[in-house]
Amino acid sequence: MDELVEQFLIEGRELVQQASDDLLALEGNPADAGRIDSAFRAVHTLKGSVGFFDFAPMADLLHRAEDLLGAIRDGRQPVTKVIIGALLDCIGASDDWIDSIERTGALPADAAIVARGLGAAMAPYLRSTAPVGVTASEADLEWLSGLVTRNRDAVDTAGAGRTITAIRYTPSPDCFFLGDDPMALVRSIPDLIALEITAREAWSTEKFDPFVCNLVFQMLTAVDADAARAVFRFVPDQAIIVETQPNPAAPQTDLRTAVAEGGRDGAVRTLRVDATRIDALADIIGELIVAKNGLAHLADKASAVDAKLARELNASQANIDRLAGDMHRAVMTMRMIPLSRTFQRFPRLVRDIAGRLGKSITFHVSGEEVEADKSIVDGIFEPLLHVLRNAVDHGIEDAETRIAKQKPTEGLIQLEAKRTNDQIVISVTDDGAGIDLGMIRRLAKDRNVLDAAAVDTLDDSAALDLIFAPGFSTASEVTDVSGRGVGMDAVRSAIDGLGGRVVVTSARGAGTTIQLSLPQALVINTIMTVRVGDEHFGVPIESVQETLRIAADRIVRIREGEAFVVRNRTVPLLRLTDLLGLPGATRPDDIRVLIASSGDERIGIEVDGFAERFDAVLRPMQGLLSGMPGILGTALLGDGQVLMVLDLPGLIG
Amino acid sequence: MSVILDAGKIVLRNDCPIEDAEPLLVFLQNNPDCPIDIEGATNLHAAVLQVLMAFKRDLFGRSRDSFLQEWVVPVIAGHAVSLT
Repeated sequence: MDELVEQFLIEGRELVQQASDDLLALEGNPADAGRIDSAFRAVHTLKGSVGFFDFAPMADLLHRAEDLLGAIRDGRQPVTKVIIGALLDCIGASDDWIDSIERTGALPADAAIVARGLGAAMAPYLRSTAPVGVTASEADLEWLSGLVTRNRDAVDTAGAGRTITAIRYTPSPDCFFLGDDPMALVRSIPDLIALEITAREAWSTEKFDPFVCNLVFQMLTAVDADAARAVFRFVPDQAIIVETQPNPAAPQTDLRTAVAEGGRDGAVRTLRVDATRIDALADIIGELIVAKNGLAHLADKASAVDAKLARELNASQANIDRLAGDMHRAVMTMRMIPLSRTFQRFPRLVRDIAGRLGKSITFHVSGEEVEADKSIVDGIFEPLLHVLRNAVDHGIEDAETRIAKQKPTEGLIQLEAKRTNDQIVISVTDDGAGIDLGMIRRLAKDRNVLDAAAVDTLDDSAALDLIFAPGFSTASEVTDVSGRGVGMDAVRSAIDGLGGRVVVTSARGAGTTIQLSLPQALVINTIMTVRVGDEHFGVPIESVQETLRIAADRIVRIREGEAFVVRNRTVPLLRLTDLLGLPGATRPDDIRVLIASSGDERIGIEVDGFAERFDAVLRPMQGLLSGMPGILGTALLGDGQVLMVLDLPGLIG
Repeated sequence: MSVILDAGKIVLRNDCPIEDAEPLLVFLQNNPDCPIDIEGATNLHAAVLQVLMAFKRDLFGRSRDSFLQEWVVPVIAGHAVSLT
């Protein structure tokens, strides 16, 4: 994808997020001037970046939203729920469009129609934009009064009483790389009265880089602010445009518009790095750890020849071992991001869902500062959205029911995250109707999720767990919001795939809690698949020293057991079928053996074949199976099958 | 190329695009006292303009382009504007 578009996608999402955060906060506190400013800046900057591309409906819509926010900021328009709603709709549409641009490189086909509709919703609030005096801050105006004073003669010559627009244009330092020529832009300003060209930073003739733009243009023109803005429409964040009229001697009292420079605040010292680069680094470190293991082997060999050398090698190996471990942890930390990355999208979405269902909901989020691996933070979005959608749709009752039950009319949904040891626990709690166990049992029978007799033997918590069963959906009627053919089973499998668990608790009449427990970081294991008979099992690659093919006649019986010789060492041989208590077949002439290490010993394990290797998240066994010896856990295969992963040292005993 | 070194002067001609910034910079660095002839210049790319602003050399001639002459010449001229 075009680098410029990529950058736009990243920034666009951030700006959409910022704007929607600000608007939601304003809904709660309409007087928050900081939020108004921040929303205005976000929309303004977003509009500016959209201007680089041919996304006209989006640019037009954002332009209107910016005007409306400008009117709010200048006190020309009060903040009302309807206006915030209209603005949030614009931001929501922009969010969808950014997704579409990412997928297809273009706005969706209906963008123009959507933009017109949303624009029309804002139109009534844009008409009453009678100019009032605006007081911009002193710092904003210092350049302006200087510019006007220095060019008083020129202004007088142009004609006293005329509209004069002052422009301070600071091209971005990298503008040349974007193909901009600020001179061409300045030349295209009509009716120029004065032009001052200065340096942004003092010139350095020794270390002069001609391709970093270091210019500041200050101009006075006899056209109005709108005409001046038209010239700078593609770089709106680089130009401050102030219209002064009719008496330029006292511009402070007559400002109609002051467009602030955007994007200068938020001095967070961060470096944006592509996640794939971090992953590449993690891969290299993985290989480093494997390579490092070779050193231990080398030290072993050396001990037979030179004990001192072996000791030194061992010390060096321990050092490298520690450093590689530190490095691995450092890279894993780099991948840690706060949950807020995902959580911050929910307030708007919950509001949206509630709005469509005609429900009124208070949504609380806490614990968004908890950090987890990027893949976890990204991976929980879909399942959590589904859980939240369910909470709004099926959890929270309609207003009449709530009043009848003497509950507050506004439903409460809480999204909470906590860290406990290595796990993060995310819960979604609603104060709605709770889950009707009788109905769950009935539906499970009706839909053949389980046979009727089995359903009746389930205790309450097991019955509640049926909501995660495939083919089960508690919605008795399919709604626009929840009825999308995915049920809670999709939530469970998504969370399983991340190595986590999901449980539900519910109290009839008081509400439901869905709790997700997830690892903070993904532990990826390389698993080798082995076959015995028709069955496949996984073995972590670390526990395999080598795989061999040996002729059956090389196997010797030693009392009860068997052994074979490899590289002058006698290695005992066990059959995996025996270890697992599976029926054994007759031995072929050519047998396959994997050599595992158990303590200092090497042990051969006979299998029927080796299949592919793959990387997977190892999930520990749950419930009754959790303490089972010889089983490490399970891994989910690409096709959704579950593979049992064996603990070879545990099996050998 | 619209920037050349000619008889002890750096001569700018016609429309000086961004590609002229680098050679102009090299000329200025290698010829510390060399004046600049802008008579034939009709436009300066901003990158060229800032090279001229940073080095501020004596200028020869009046630009044929009124915009340059009116607004740009004052900020790039060194000690004196010498007329031919």
